[in-house]
Amino acid sequence: METLMDIFIYVVLFCYFASALLYWGGGKFHNSMAAKAALGLAILGCILHLAILVMRTALIGVLPLTNGLEFLLSFSWVTVLLYLLMQTRYPIQPAAGAVMLISALLVSLVVILMRDQLSAVAPLMPALKSPWLTVHVITAAVAYAAFALAAGLAAVQFFPAGQSIKDDHIYLLVGGGFVLLSLSIVLGAIWAEQAWGRYWSWDPKETWALITWIIYAIYLHIYRSRDWPGTTTRWMVIIGFALVLFTFFGVNYLLPGLHSYA
Amino acid sequence: MQSFYRLYSIASSMKTGLVLLFLIGITAAVGSSVFPGNFYQIPVFKLLLMLLLVNMILCTFNRIKLTFRVLLKRFGRRVWYRQLGIFTLHLGIILVLVGGLIYSVSGQNDRIHLLAGDRVDIAKVLDIRHPFTLQLDEFRIEFNEDGSPSQYISEVTVLENGQVTDQIAISVNHPLNYQGVKAYQTSFGYLVKAAYIAENGENKEGRFFEGEWLDPDGTNRRVRIYKYIPNFNPAYGMRSVTLRPDNPHIVFSVYENDKLLGIGAAKLNEPAQIDENVYVTFTGVEPYTILEVKSDPGLPLVLIGGCALMLGVCLAMLATPRRKKNMV
Repeated sequence: METLMDIFIYVVLFCYFASALLYWGGGKFHNSMAAKAALGLAILGCILHLAILVMRTALIGVLPLTNGLEFLLSFSWVTVLLYLLMQTRYPIQPAAGAVMLISALLVSLVVILMRDQLSAVAPLMPALKSPWLTVHVITAAVAYAAFALAAGLAAVQFFPAGQSIKDDHIYLLVGGGFVLLSLSIVLGAIWAEQAWGRYWSWDPKETWALITWIIYAIYLHIYRSRDWPGTTTRWMVIIGFALVLFTFFGVNYLLPGLHSYA
Repeated sequence: MQSFYRLYSIASSMKTGLVLLFLIGITAAVGSSVFPGNFYQIPVFKLLLMLLLVNMILCTFNRIKLTFRVLLKRFGRRVWYRQLGIFTLHLGIILVLVGGLIYSVSGQNDRIHLLAGDRVDIAKVLDIRHPFTLQLDEFRIEFNEDGSPSQYISEVTVLENGQVTDQIAISVNHPLNYQGVKAYQTSFGYLVKAAYIAENGENKEGRFFEGEWLDPDGTNRRVRIYKYIPNFNPAYGMRSVTLRPDNPHIVFSVYENDKLLGIGAAKLNEPAQIDENVYVTFTGVEPYTILEVKSDPGLPLVLIGGCALMLGVCLAMLATPRRKKNMV
């Protein structure tokens, strides 16, 4: 199974990169065959990606949400899944290349930084043994995925091909992500009160999660009031996702604190 | 009067709130990088949080009228849920901030160290209305197969006026909650037991904290009991391989006239020679637990606020009015 996971992660990485390339290229030449192939590769990658998560679950005996590697794998998978589901209902296909590129880059970080952890098994530390773990991390992973997708949509709006992307679809994603981020922060605080004795410690992860929450909160307020030009809100969505990535990578690797599990 | 209204409208405006949020975000970002660990104690940061609280109270108060108008009229179910959600969510944040303020004014916390059998009068640690005594019956660490800790458990008895009123196992993620006082499993440590025989044949036995000094008779050499290592391996140095006592050693150093003579690692119950005819035997360790005790009168408010925030944000977003013409 360990070898299979190793092989699958490379196949997934290939699928996502190839899908992104085909979307970009196909879009340029209005080639519908290329777009179909790109969609097929994205779906294949998504299925194999799920298979890795299932194998990881079988290996550790709990849902793969207990360390940095598992979080990154889960959150990048939800990003692709969310795109695939959303494009069946909304015309967001112009952003497909950008979204697949973001997913491919996230998976390549797994390969570059943590491939040796893929088959590593370690028992949960006492602080993580809590029913709150699952809901706290799932909400964060889906929130991050929604913000990734929103950032992909916002980024392609700057290109001629992305003009057809509606601001309202980005708003929908940011709104959904904001709900889940809020849930994740509050559930995490309830858990922290039980495990560490304080619901808020201004630990780097908490502080940076609050900073991302603030930027999206400001976005939601000014988007509703429609006082600001579209380019400003677009930039906020992109910067918001950059902050999300910093909250994950920067805090795990640069600012150690209570959340140092990765 | 007019300037008062102007001030009020600025203080209660959403724009002011957003600017404050932005400033809090920037301060937190810069603060957590420049002064990690204590930036939140900077007066400017506290002031910003206070101003946000005031702004949100005024802003939400102003919205009550609008909220009720929407709630009472028939604008459709989505608008109704959305208004209710937005109101509940902002009220939730206010309650969380007020609860946090209450903790910073009247919350108390302290750490207590307990060996098995020790009793502590909580009223001497925290200023509480309902005094009680906490007695540690046993502290133990449970291990996984690989030797890593799976749980830290303090079995405690609660007593009031000498009468047992409760018995509970405090462990990580399972604090004690008694009469508004909470006690959390926070840390632990060891006392090292050492037996040493002087030249005259007299036996001595004592318990020492890590880092304490021991003065055996019959020599002017001093022993510093440096550290208990539950699973000793020279390749790991001062670090224990695991926390499980698979190969317990005591690391100690010997000094003469303030000069370090050497460092050794002694197996438990094996005499370590300090000088000619002077030996010290480390006979065992006694674990102690470290509990954090806390009383936070603001906690219920923060919990209610957090729940209101979650409920409100779900209602507000899930009931976003659909704009059909844009959504396709």
